[in-house]
Amino acid sequence: MKMKKPLALLLAVGLTLGLAACGSGNNSQGGSQTPAGGSETGGGASTGAVELSLWSFNIGGFTDAAAWDSIVAAFNEANPDITVTVTPINYQDGDQKLTTAISSNNAPDIIFEGPERIVGNYAREGLMVDLGDLWSASGSDIAEGISSVSQLDGTYYMYPLSVAAHCMAINYEAFEAAGALQYLDETTRTWTTDNFVKAMEAVRDAIDAGTIDITVPGIIYCGAQGGDQGTRALVNNLYSDYYVNEDGTSYLANSENNVKALTLLQDMVNNKSMSANASFAAADELQAFANQTAAVTFCWNYSNYTQYAEQTQFTPFAMAFPSDDGVPELEMAGPYGFGIFNNGDEAKIEAAKKFVDFVCNDQAAGTDAVKVTGFFPVHSDWGDVYADAEDADVRAPFALMSDYLGRYYALTGGWTEQRALWWPMLAEIMTTGADVQTAADNFVQQANANIG
Amino acid sequence: MAQNTAAAPAQQKPKKEKRSQFSGMSKALVRRETISAYLFLLPSLVFFVSFVVVPMFICVIYSFMEYGLGGIKGFAGLDNYIKLFQDSIFHRGFLNTVLIVVVAVPTVTAFSLWVSSAIYKMHSVPRSFFRCVFYLPVVTGSVAITVVWKWILHPYYGLLNQLVGTDGFDWLGTSSTAIWFIILILFTTSIGQPIVLYVAALGNVDQSLVEAAQVDGATKLQVFWKIKWPQIMPTTLYVLVITTINSFQCFALIQLLTKGGPLNSTMTIMYQVYDTAYRLNDLGYANAIGVILAIIIAIFSAIQFKVVKTD
Amino acid sequence: MKAKTTDLSGTSTGYKVFAAVVLILLAIFFLFPLYWIVTGSFKDAIEINAKYPIWFPQNPTVDNYARLFEHPAFKWLFNIVFISAMAMILTCLTAALAGYALGKKRFYGRAILFTIIICAMALPKQVIVIPLLQEMTFFHMNDNLWAVILPTVGWPFGVFLMKQFSETIPNEILEAARVDGAGELRTFFSVVFPMIKPGIGALAIFTFVNTWNDYFLQLVMLTSDKNWTLPLAIANLQGEMSSDFGLIMAGAALAAIPIVVVFIAFQKYFTQGIAMGAVKG
Repeated sequence: MKMKKPLALLLAVGLTLGLAACGSGNNSQGGSQTPAGGSETGGGASTGAVELSLWSFNIGGFTDAAAWDSIVAAFNEANPDITVTVTPINYQDGDQKLTTAISSNNAPDIIFEGPERIVGNYAREGLMVDLGDLWSASGSDIAEGISSVSQLDGTYYMYPLSVAAHCMAINYEAFEAAGALQYLDETTRTWTTDNFVKAMEAVRDAIDAGTIDITVPGIIYCGAQGGDQGTRALVNNLYSDYYVNEDGTSYLANSENNVKALTLLQDMVNNKSMSANASFAAADELQAFANQTAAVTFCWNYSNYTQYAEQTQFTPFAMAFPSDDGVPELEMAGPYGFGIFNNGDEAKIEAAKKFVDFVCNDQAAGTDAVKVTGFFPVHSDWGDVYADAEDADVRAPFALMSDYLGRYYALTGGWTEQRALWWPMLAEIMTTGADVQTAADNFVQQANANIG
Repeated sequence: MAQNTAAAPAQQKPKKEKRSQFSGMSKALVRRETISAYLFLLPSLVFFVSFVVVPMFICVIYSFMEYGLGGIKGFAGLDNYIKLFQDSIFHRGFLNTVLIVVVAVPTVTAFSLWVSSAIYKMHSVPRSFFRCVFYLPVVTGSVAITVVWKWILHPYYGLLNQLVGTDGFDWLGTSSTAIWFIILILFTTSIGQPIVLYVAALGNVDQSLVEAAQVDGATKLQVFWKIKWPQIMPTTLYVLVITTINSFQCFALIQLLTKGGPLNSTMTIMYQVYDTAYRLNDLGYANAIGVILAIIIAIFSAIQFKVVKTD
Repeated sequence: MKAKTTDLSGTSTGYKVFAAVVLILLAIFFLFPLYWIVTGSFKDAIEINAKYPIWFPQNPTVDNYARLFEHPAFKWLFNIVFISAMAMILTCLTAALAGYALGKKRFYGRAILFTIIICAMALPKQVIVIPLLQEMTFFHMNDNLWAVILPTVGWPFGVFLMKQFSETIPNEILEAARVDGAGELRTFFSVVFPMIKPGIGALAIFTFVNTWNDYFLQLVMLTSDKNWTLPLAIANLQGEMSSDFGLIMAGAALAAIPIVVVFIAFQKYFTQGIAMGAVKG
């Protein structure tokens, strides 16, 4: 007993001093930071000055803080009192940084992302600000499909900027050399499931014959959840089914048509007209497509096109996912836009709304921002923002894909949890030859457990 | 030596221990020593208590809460712990963690001892060369190392498949092989420090004792076990400790190479803590797993000290 | 087997050749990643992503470095050096004092304190990170270099190591100092400190390297890009859909060089440090 007393005392003293040490550490560091921030906060002394933090996922060209510079500068011309500091985050560790910040009461003021996180994760936890006033003022020309996913239980929590459709792409020259172009419609960029199977088999035969320098026809990546929109869309389109039922009460991976699709893919893996890798994430598959290891990619959009443009020595030809009736339904990329965290400071919330309103509703600023994302504006009356762009011809196919936009699933309950189940299920089916129905039943059972 | 028993559960025979610790000291001296000792300990304890003990304490509290992104939702009682014992991913993670530690720690220790014994008598230039070479993976950083390894193990154009002729085999994508490559890469980033330590320790073994033993006709085996091994024992302890720490904390490799897959075959308890907290945002459950991990580590460390220190 | 190999002099030539061959093969194996990183940092986008290995850059380019320095790469380098150096200094100082007390003093609570330290040594930071972050917010230290430094100093490994070293100091020397009338602090700085200096060297290099490589703590604590460290920046440059491997290689090469220099510079102290520890069992 005796030895516990001094120890307890010591712990108490230690903690107190610990606090003191930290406090002083903070001050010295804070002091050294002031000059750095000084230039940005030029008019900071005037009353009403607000500092906003914006955390931006790397969507399209928004890969670093500098990408926001001109947009923020334009905003500051009208609102010199509001400082916006941008922190770029990415999908590798963005969730972690946000969780960290939120759980330590240090969330940013504004986040730039899609409904999956803004509405599905954060609004559901009651962390976001109601943006209904922005919507009623300027949201009338935004498509129903986009407005419906920006809200939760009738309240708008996200304000969108731009949108696109996820699609796939083929190596045009390799398909040409393999005689596989006959199986697809180059004008509508669609194909049927039967023709897709034939095309992949033609590519496989061309590889075997040494006609083309490609290693595998295509790769089903099932090593991580990034880019899972590609594998989801592939499976769902093959026999025209959906990922979630209409009222959002059940996942459908074990439906008759989806099981048929999964079985078809498993058969294709077995007859080598497709390959599957449990160590591959979307980035690995894209890399394999870009260096001509694989002849197709299931994870394509304009942003990926530009990121790989430097190293692709062939023509990546954007295609819709194959479906039995030849009518694809593509998943929405985005819509990407803004959410505002409720940090309890009315002045900040007002300022943040001003910023979001400026970026999304001011046509000049908004057009610039949309162009950085590489996608298409949600405001239908802004027209074709890329009409006089240098690479208008490259963008056209991606615009075409928007015609095939299908249902948006990412607000279904338990979405985050089911994403963690989807790729292991694919790995089980595609790389270990597991029974499709059993694996899909397991998936649905576990995914549905979190839906409520 | 009182600290021999110190690592054992503390309540055990405290009286006897105290008597041996303070034998021959007056009460006043004991008090003076205690005060001065804590003054010496104070700066270190300030940091230790503030940034390890207090957070750990809070962790334990959180582990009994239902705690999500929106904050603490309520008291969960033992729910998080009950969930844990029914969670098949946790079972897998537990086995993998044990596997990594049980394989990596002895292998790293034995192998670094072998390399050190092979190089410590070399001329200083090749010795420094080898020492640096084995240390390189430690300083190159895990991100860059994993990029290189990903390429070596790439199923379609990786170096390993070209060398072995196993075209298209997915080493990191196959449940039975992935964990072994995690251990191998962990191994390459772990042996640098032990080799440096062992080279120094072997170089400082008392040569006169070795010679005396040889004169007495001792075999090499006897010389090693009877003379060198006891003398490098403190180094071995140090090596065991840092390798154990490295193995338990193997995070970056799993995060950057497999994310716990395929089919949870590289899931470790620590990675599950991370995954549960940051991707699934179930902070209460993540803290419960963390508390169990802390207990496992404490038990493991205590056993290790007990085993090594009884000589 | 192992016993035989501990003494190469007088071992059979066959074994010597075997050992030499194995060592050289291993050296190649261990050198390869760094070779690949350094050559990779001079390759262009097509070569570095090529599906056939390109052993040496065909069109060497410094483009990757140019792109690296479009970012505040020197600031990132400074940040990681600052964090590692401050953590090293603070750890060595506090651990030397505490290790001496644990190793040489008899006092109440010693056994339990040492037990706690042993148990906490292998505790991964992932476990305590959420409360740690809340603490940092409480102290207004978010996104601050000190938020990485302070928890690193709190890690008790240094205390354990310095205790091991302090134990090797003969009691007679401490006794002699006391008889001479030296106070506690003077005894520590003029008698103990010089004797455990090699151990401090060992702890210094260990702390520096470990802090440098502590990707996780940097990742959680530092958010804004001006506060990133070089290793963290390299990780952040990997995207979900694409990775600029040239840039990553250039960053890794830039990050590896200073630490290799530190290693070579401290090698002497390191070696001496263990010499001390090995004297006594």
